[in-house]
This record gives sequence, structure tokens and C-alpha cells, in this order.
Amino acid sequence: MSEAPRQIEKDSVTLHDNSKERPVPYQEEADVKIRVNNLTKRFGALTVLDGINFTIKKGELLAIVGPTGCGKTTFLNCLSKLMPATEGEILIDGEEANPRKHNIAYVFQEPTCLPWRTVRDNVAYGMEVKGESKKKRDERAAEIMELVGLSSCADLYPNQVSASMMQRIAVSRAFAVNPDLLLMDEPYGQLDVKLRFYLEDELISLWQKLSSTILFVTHNIEEAVYVAERVLILTNKPTKIKAEIKVDLPRPRKLIDPRFVELRKKVTELIRWW
Amino acid sequence: MAYQTVVVKEPLLFRILPYISIVSFFLLWEGAVQTGVIPQTLLAAPSQVFASFIDKLSNPNPDGAVMATHFITSLEEAFLGYVLALLVGLPLGLAMGWFKVAEGLFRPIFELIRPIPPIAWIPLTVFWFGIGLTGKVFIIWVAGIVPCVINAYVGVRMTSPVLIQMARTYGASDWQIFTQLCIPSSLPMVFGALQLALAYCWTNLVGAELLAADSGLGFLITMGGRVARPALIVLGMICVGISGAVIGIIIDCIEKKLLAGIRR
Repeated sequence: MSEAPRQIEKDSVTLHDNSKERPVPYQEEADVKIRVNNLTKRFGALTVLDGINFTIKKGELLAIVGPTGCGKTTFLNCLSKLMPATEGEILIDGEEANPRKHNIAYVFQEPTCLPWRTVRDNVAYGMEVKGESKKKRDERAAEIMELVGLSSCADLYPNQVSASMMQRIAVSRAFAVNPDLLLMDEPYGQLDVKLRFYLEDELISLWQKLSSTILFVTHNIEEAVYVAERVLILTNKPTKIKAEIKVDLPRPRKLIDPRFVELRKKVTELIRWW
Repeated sequence: MAYQTVVVKEPLLFRILPYISIVSFFLLWEGAVQTGVIPQTLLAAPSQVFASFIDKLSNPNPDGAVMATHFITSLEEAFLGYVLALLVGLPLGLAMGWFKVAEGLFRPIFELIRPIPPIAWIPLTVFWFGIGLTGKVFIIWVAGIVPCVINAYVGVRMTSPVLIQMARTYGASDWQIFTQLCIPSSLPMVFGALQLALAYCWTNLVGAELLAADSGLGFLITMGGRVARPALIVLGMICVGISGAVIGIIIDCIEKKLLAGIRR
């Protein structure tokens, strides 16, 4: 693959030239919140992530789609600093990412609510770790729960609410810390379709109100195109970024809109050649 | 959105079954001794045991103390030993589960001491503390510490790794994870330890009282053997049994209250 990056007709698809290890063209410096340079992760002889470069603008919602086993969990673990990268750096606001200093939130695929705390205390947990005062915690938790619709079950325990509620609690907790980077690993993967649409709308609404920077990993192409402003497509192992698609449809997006369908098809096509 | 707890009522038979079982047991026992199937010299009938009990309530003979004194002595020793075992064993086990330094330091010694039966400590405690309350409390303490450490350790090790990962992404320190995740997570195991430690402590109570005493339920049992009165022996044993059961029930109730919120 030694072709220069090319534009396909009038669509905003950029194929990445992976033969050369150079970062993508820098966007406006002031706008860039997250910059990932040459992220590489090896486990012994196995290279999982191979020189990944991209940036995320402040307040952008970026989706990442990739084949199973391409190392997206490893990718997220490196981004959230749960795992050290073998090479490369992750910069938030120009500094090396640090969970103690920056606000990184990670919504896992499985529910991660603390069973011994009420819903309210769970939503406040992230802020508690960060050391916010009780007053501020309570205020913000109430605010977010109101936005998400969890106020009515604020005093219940996680085992008294459904799995979808548990994911909403995790998402609320993540938004409550006002994250510099919010990572989401297929948070709605285990829920049914109708619920997914509802929660995707909820996510978009929260994102618009609170202007957080979000990185959303998913298998579901429709979800990616519905939710994101930009979609990055990953290759198989050793994983690189294959292509980037800008989705500048107005919101609320309609799944049957011809432009939506076109973009969805484009992504599917690119994925088919994984 | 109201939440209701559904209470299922057990059928009448199952509710009264435990009572039927106990009553039948005592009736059988009484019958066996009264009819001579088991000779009176070997085992006392429940009625005789009860008669001894009434007698002992006010009569200090032949062992030197009334029932109340025996109960108080035993409960005192057991309580002290038990509480000290909890206060030392639980934090130690919890720390060993999370902090590698603590595990490295204490585990080898613990693994060496654990298999030694508490009664084997009697000769040493006589040298150290002489004959008295301290020695007996020490034996009971050694007995109770083992399940506390083990259960607390296992409880902490069983903390869900995903929860720990989640806390790490928010930047939680080791200490924060220990206090906010590991300890609440381990509470069911810790309460298991309370019950187990009680069992260990209480069974070793009788052995501890072999150390020479002048009162206590274990002392009552051995005295009963010395003066050849089976009724006293059985009385002592039954009292030990019932007291242990009652304390166990109390701990159970406390557990239910405290763990109400921890649902799994």
C-alpha cells in the first residue's frame, strides 16, 4: 500500500498511507484535545497496535470501528493508561496522559457498578475518587441523573435495576467527572435494539449539553455513523488506521436518509476488505 | 417506579419441622435412659440434667461455683479472645490480600502457625502467663485468628478485576482502591469469618479451661468427670452448645442488618 492519500469523489473519505510512519496532517493546534502519536503495543513477538496516529478535537465525538480481535480493547487500555504502550505517546492538551491529573473516564462493555452503593453513590463515585467535595458531588450527580432520567431510582441498588440502567449509571458516572477524554467500549453491545436507539440518543443529548470529548468503539456500523462526527476504521492485527470518514449530517439523524445510507455503505465497503 | 420486596411464606409443616425435630430428639433420649437401653451410669437423661441445672443455679457444690459464675467466666474469656482475634486477624487478612508487602511479611509465619492446634499452646502459655484468665484468652485468640485472616484474605482477592480497572481509570490510588473497593467487596467473606471464628473460639474454650480454672463451662465438664456425675458433664456440654448457638444467631442478625445493602 504505497499510494498517496486520495479523495474519493465528493465524499470525505481519507485512506491512510500506512507505509510511512508520519502523523496525520495536524489540525488547528488550538482545537486539538487528544493527540496520539505512533501508538504501538507489542506483547513479546506479537505486534497488536502498530504505529497508530490520530487526533481528536475538543468536544468531538469520534467512533472507531474495527474487526474482532484487532486489539481495540488493548487500544483503549493503552489510551486510558491501564496498560503502558510499548512505543508512542498519548497527549491530552499537549501533556502526557495521566489518570491522576487528567479526567479520563472509561465505560466498559460489562456493567461496572459497585453493588454495595446506591445508584446515586455510584454516579458520584468517579468524582469521589478525584476528591471533589461532597456538596459538589451531590449537586453534579443530581444534575446528571436528571438529564439521564435516573432520579427516580437514585436510592435503589444496582441489583434492583436492569442491565440497561447499569450502563446508564456507568455513562452518567463518566460524564459527571467532566472528562478530558471519555472512552466507551461498546457500551450498548449487550442491549436490545430499541434500547440501543434510545441510549444512543441519550448519549448524543448528554454530549451536546456537556461538550465532552468522546471516543466510541463499536462493531455496529449503523451506531457508529448515527452517533459520530468522524469514524475511524481499523485494520486487522497489526492494527493501523485504515480510513477516516467524516460524517457531517445534521442532527437528529435519520437512519433512512439517503445520505446516511450512503455513508453507512461506504463504511461497510471499507470494512468488508478487512 | 415502586420497588416491592416479595415475601414468600413457607408452608406450615416446614416452619414447625425444626421444633418437632428438637422435641423428638429429647424425647428419644429421655426414653432411652429411663427404659434402661442406655445405662444410667453412662449417660444422664434430660430430666436429670435439667434437675442438676436447677440445683446448680444456687448450689456451688461440688465444683465450687453456681451456674451463673460458670457462664460469666466462659463468656468473658471467649468474648475477649474472640474480639481480640477479630481486631487483629481481620485487618491483617485484609492488608495481606491487597498489599504485597504485607503478604510477603506475614504469610510464611501464618502458614507455619496455622496447623498447630490451639491446645498445643497450653504448656507455653502456662510458662508465659501462669494459670489465669490471660492464658485462656490467649488460646482462644490463637484459635480465632486463623479463620479471620484466611477469610479476609480470600475476600479481598475476590474483588472483581473490572471494578479495579474502572477505579484505576479514574486515577484511584492503591489506598483508595483498598478502602473503597476491596473492603466492601470482602464483607460477605468477613462475616463468614465471624461465624467461623466463633466456632473455633468456642470449641477451644473447653480445651483452654483444661489449663486449671475454678469456674467456667469447660471446668464444669471436667469436674463432672472427676466426681463421676454424668449429669454435670452433659449439663456443661449442653450449656456450651446452646450458648454457642445463641451467639451465632445474634451474629447472624447483625450480619443481615449490616449487609442489607450489599446485594450480589
